[in-house]
Order: sequence, then structure tokens, then C-alpha cells
Amino acid sequence: MSQIITLEQLKSALDEKLSQGCRVAAPVLDGEFASFKEITKADQGSYEPRVAMQNSIKEFFFPKHETLFTFVRQGQDVVLTDAPDFEVDQIVVGARPCDAAALPVLDPLFGWDYQDRFFQQRRAKTTVVSFACVKSDAHCFCTAVGGSPENTSGSDALLFDLGDGSFEVRVLTDKGKALFEGKTTDSDKTGQSCDAPTVDFEVDKIADWIRANFASPLWEKISLRCVGCGACAFVCPTCHCFDMVDEGSYNKGKKVKNWDSCQEAMFTLHASGHNPRGTQGKRQRQRLSHKFVTYPDKFKFYLCTGCGSCSRSCGQMFGVRPTLEALDKEGVKAGQ
Amino acid sequence: MENELRNAIRELFANQGVGVAIGYGRVGVDGAVGAVFVTSPDDVDQLVWNNECRQNLAVHLTRPEVKALGKIAIVCKPCDARAVVVLANEAQIKREDLVVVGVVCEGIRNVKPDGSTSDKDYPKCETCVQHVPANVDVVIGETSKGEALDAKNAEVATTAGHQAKLAKLRAMSAEERFQYWRDEFSRCVRCYACRQSCPLCYCNRCVADKNRPARIDTSASLKGNFAWNILRAFHLAGRCVGCGACASACPAGIELDLLNLTLANAAKEHFGFVAGTEVGAAPLIGTYDRDDKEEFIR
Repeated sequence: MSQIITLEQLKSALDEKLSQGCRVAAPVLDGEFASFKEITKADQGSYEPRVAMQNSIKEFFFPKHETLFTFVRQGQDVVLTDAPDFEVDQIVVGARPCDAAALPVLDPLFGWDYQDRFFQQRRAKTTVVSFACVKSDAHCFCTAVGGSPENTSGSDALLFDLGDGSFEVRVLTDKGKALFEGKTTDSDKTGQSCDAPTVDFEVDKIADWIRANFASPLWEKISLRCVGCGACAFVCPTCHCFDMVDEGSYNKGKKVKNWDSCQEAMFTLHASGHNPRGTQGKRQRQRLSHKFVTYPDKFKFYLCTGCGSCSRSCGQMFGVRPTLEALDKEGVKAGQ
Repeated sequence: MENELRNAIRELFANQGVGVAIGYGRVGVDGAVGAVFVTSPDDVDQLVWNNECRQNLAVHLTRPEVKALGKIAIVCKPCDARAVVVLANEAQIKREDLVVVGVVCEGIRNVKPDGSTSDKDYPKCETCVQHVPANVDVVIGETSKGEALDAKNAEVATTAGHQAKLAKLRAMSAEERFQYWRDEFSRCVRCYACRQSCPLCYCNRCVADKNRPARIDTSASLKGNFAWNILRAFHLAGRCVGCGACASACPAGIELDLLNLTLANAAKEHFGFVAGTEVGAAPLIGTYDRDDKEEFIR
């Protein structure tokens, strides 16, 4: 016995939550582009499983721009005011399984030594409803990093598109239960995801190669076409580097936290003028090492869910999958 | 044409002491076309030429990693070749140290959101009229679509292209235009893909990276995004050659080239200047002429 919900019922469930003051984010179509956006009516969303998205759901947990505190100069004193707590319930609907899977990957990072209340409060307040994939493309490689088209990691409910205007609902957590309880009907229909994307490289072997080949000239060679923008990091569901800067004037302003990317030369530029990662090869080595060696060594997760957004959005046709394939072919399999 | 291109590059390795040939190859996922850096005549067969050769390779001419590979030969579409002219005019490259292999181009296909190739032309190519590159050392290919442009014809022709493209913006009222850019810029994530993929954004330290003190907000807020995108457009006024690399690289799908074209069009209208069409032209914003208009002084 399965539980199903029609598209109309799903929309009215979301509208009900919106009317209760809940924030809802869903895929929104703009021409042929689809991106996750906050919506004010369920009708604004587009509810079908998609492979290519312009952004990930990361920004509803870790916004691209966030105020940490404000400051006001008063005579001889400076008054600091913390940013308010995140207290509103939030639903992110239509996530890809590889978007949702990034959340458990990021949990240890934001709750390791410093407890990041900004991320943690949003995480606690948010219900994630994912759609199982119905197709994959050549950029997808979730299978290489432990994922699958119906990966449940990080989701509170996983919906399978039945192709007849309804979804099979698989509730995974109490938050998912709270959203769908009483909204679904019994059925004998069950949904199915697409076949898992195929890969012909093994990430563990590439990770071993990375450990042993810090100084390999291959890094510079394969990175030549990378122009060092942050597009890959900013569409990535797991990349989480940020910069903290002051904005405003001498008398009044705020400290803000903005996304940053290790692919930009400024990222590691020292005040002395020295840059320990002065070339794009070194910056790509950092990106791949962090994702497949440093992060798993520390937090047991690859810092990559295999979503392929990096290579889909790269203007230079680069990204994690092409880089892994180049390292596999020219490093691992060539025995260099 | 691909063979003609490969033979020409082989010849350059043999006779002109070229250390690296920057061209296009099937390097991405599913054979997507991106830059390849051929350092040996044995690898020349990696080079391809087709309507998926989207990037402006001139962006690599000022990168230290690439310059370290020796004398450069570069494959340029007509629009890319205009960027090489500006780079030389602004003393960023020594033109005589470079071999520019111009390829005849009848338009490049757009890229779809999933990274694959669309069956439609890239928007800037729909209005492009220069199909034969000018100011290059070798021209590969032929077309019936149009002749090589000399400086004078290029001025007229590229401007005609701009006009067609800008019609969309011109049809809007000031309020509608403001709302249009508000919506577009709200998606900007400040990844700086526009800057990094632009051959003419070559500053070692971009004004957006200046933090002592900060010149503009680095936040991806509406204020910060307006400041960044407008500022970049102004810095390219009289310099942008309309190659569209910025818009093509933008992960948020913002039509950034419309901003630059607006200013390119103003440069033509008020100063009769079209960037990248005349070798040795003094930079528009860097020169003063007694005949420059003064009616804006009140």
C-alpha cells in the first residue's frame, strides 16, 4: 500500500502553509531556466522532477548574503546588535535528491567547533520535500559518491512523479509526516526513479591519487582552461566558503557574510602580496582535494553529491566530473 | 575547414616557433567544446572548429599560466579578434609576439540550461554581421554571408547589430527597464564569471576586490549587484567588443551583454567610436578631443 497526493492537493497543502506564515521555496520557471525561489502562491512553482537547475537549495540554509550583526556608533561607544534568530517555518519543495543530500554533508561543518546558529536554525525550521529523478544526464554522477536517483539522505519526504498528475509520497521523517499527514490517499500505485547514472571512474582511487600527487604537473595542465570564476562553487549544493565584510559607514553599518570561492585568486591573496595558490592549477587542486580528501578525512562525507551543476553551468566546460575524469585517465589509469 | 585550421597551426609550430596554440577542442562533458592548449604539433588533431565554439579565447592571452607556455597562436572568431585589437591598443599584449588565426564564423549555437547545445543561434550571433575576421594573421574558411570588414565598414555593421539587439530594451519605459534589471540582477550571485571570462577585464586587482576600503558592496544584495554590474559596464564603455562571453558564462542567465552594448552604442553615437575595429586607435575614455561633445556640461 502506498500513499499518493495529486498535484492540486500538493499545491493546496503548500498554499495552506503559506497562509499560516510559512516560507515556501520551489522551482520557478523563467523561460527555459528553472531556479529555486521563494514563492508566495503555490501556483508560481513548477512541480516536476528536473535534472538542470540554475541554483541549489543551499541558499535557503546558507544564503548568498546574510547579515551577522549591525553596529551603530553612539558617542564614545559602539552598539552591536545581533541579527535576529530565524524563527519562521520553511518548506523547500522540489529539491533534487542530490540537493537534499548536501544538507547532512554540511551539518558537521556548521556544527563542529563553532555552532553556526544561522545554518542550524534554518535547518531545524525547514522541511525538505524532494522529487525522485526520472532522468539523468551526462553531467550526473551521484552513483560515484554514494548517491542515487532516489537517495533519501537529507529529505523529509521523497515524492515519485507517477506521470498522471499525482505523486507517490514516501514520508521519511517527523517533519515530512507533519506536512503530509491527512493529505494523502491510499493507493496501490508505486513510483519509480530512473536508472542510476553510469560512471567509469572510482572516486576512492582518485582520492588516493590526489593524496600522493600534490606536486603533479597534471594539475596545471588540466586546469588551463579554467578562468577562475566562482560559478561552480556558487551553484554547488555543498560548497560553503564565505567571506565576512563590513558594509556601511564609519558611524553605522553591518557585518555581512557573503559566499566566496576558492577558484578566485583573491581567495588566498596575502596582505604581503604573496599568493600560496597563485595559479589556477593550485586552485583546482584545492577544490578537488577539499571535496574528495580533506573533507571526507575530517567529516566522513565527500563534499560532493554528484549533481553535476558545476559542469552544467561552467562557461569553460569544466567542473568536477570532467576534472575527475581527467585525473582518472591521465593520473590513476596512466599510473602517473 | 577543420583540416585547414589544423594544417595552419601545424605550420605555425614548424615555422614560427609557436609554443602553445589556443584553440577549441571537445574537452567537456559529452564532448562539449571548450579551450584546448596544444603544446605539440602531434596534438594538433585535438583542435575542432564548429558552431559550438562559444568562448572568447582571448581571455587567456593575459594569464601568466598561459604566457609561461611560450609564443602563442590563438584561434579567433571575428568578434574575438576585435578583443585582441583592443588588448594590443591598450598595451596588454604585444601583437607582434602573437599569431592570430582568424576563423570565418557564421554564428555560434546557444547553450541550453542543461549545458547541451541548442538548435538556436546564440542571441548575439543573431544580429552579428561580421563573419570574416579582420586584423588577423591568417584567415581560415570562406563564407557567402559577408566580406571581411575594414575599420569603416565594421563601424557601420557592428552598430547595426547593436541596434537590433537593443530594440528589446528601447521598447521599454524607464520604469519597465529598471524593473527588468531589478529582476535580472536579483539572480546575480557575484561569482564574477562575467569578469573572468571577459578578455578586457584584465585588471590584476578589480575594483570589486578592493577592500581597504571597499569601493562597492561585495554582497549579492540588490544594491551590491546593481553597483557591480553597472560599474563593470562603465569600465567597458568604449572597450567592449560585443563578443558576449560574459552573458554566455553567467550561471544565472543574465543578459549582461545588453548593458555593454548600450554603452558601445553610446560610444558610436556620440564619438563615432567602435572598439576593436582599428589597430592603434587611442582608447576612447583615455583621450580628449577638441571636437568632443560638451552639451552635457551645464
